Amino acid sequence: MTSCSKQIVHSMHEYLDGDIQEEKKQELKFHIETCADCKQHFTELEKTIALVQSASHIEAPAGFTSRVMALLPREGKKVGIER
Amino acid sequence: MDLIVQRRIKQVIKGDQNAFGEIVELYKDKVYQICFRMLWDRYEAEDAAQETFLKAFLNIHTYNQDKKFSTWLYRIATNLCIDKIRKKKPDYHLDAEIAGTDGLNMYAHLASGDQLPEDEVESLEVQASIHEAILLLPDKYRAVIVLKYIEELPLQEIADILELPLGTVKTRVHRGREALRKHLRHL
Repeated sequence: MTSCSKQIVHSMHEYLDGDIQEEKKQELKFHIETCADCKQHFTELEKTIALVQSASHIEAPAGFTSRVMALLPREGKKVGIER
Repeated sequence: MDLIVQRRIKQVIKGDQNAFGEIVELYKDKVYQICFRMLWDRYEAEDAAQETFLKAFLNIHTYNQDKKFSTWLYRIATNLCIDKIRKKKPDYHLDAEIAGTDGLNMYAHLASGDQLPEDEVESLEVQASIHEAILLLPDKYRAVIVLKYIEELPLQEIADILELPLGTVKTRVHRGREALRKHLRHL
């Protein structure tokens, strides 16, 4: 990072959260077009998000539900943690 | 789905265990995924996910039916995982490396059979790097990043799950993203 204000990076995050005021958004857009370092920072953030979102979705292992059900206290018995 | 869930919960409270089985079926993948991304070990993740459902079952009476069930359930899961991460010994980073190799073993195993196409090998390597970057995050950042980008939950819901002010969640997402950026920008 260069000497660009922390406020610009903060704006980037607000933008990424979809939670930015129009005025700040324009300011950010203008800044990114004119500052190579900030443009790179922003591109890297967007890429990071895309990468994390691409993390393959995984499923619970086979037989998971029956193993959970086997852990439950027997039916009929009153469960201990009750008010 | 919410209506079905609420109906099943009422049945569970009345003592119908089979109804709980349906709840487990509905949420097992989401809960397992949270645990796996938080702990990055499939055995620990399964333990944590099982524990989450057991705890939910035992404490079902404390669930407020006016609120979203998934919020309550994911809270149990994230709290359990954060506890587990904090209880780990200081050699945690060694574990992390071993966990990282686990991914490589899987890769080696796959590669020993048919030759994988170049881009699939690359994608496995990229996946391993992404996991490693998530794992390197301190637990409080890891939780928000997993909930936001893996489970794709809105920030307000994440705040509800973690019982944190929205502002705190935002700050953690920002810092988490910056930390991830440092690890992933060269990919």
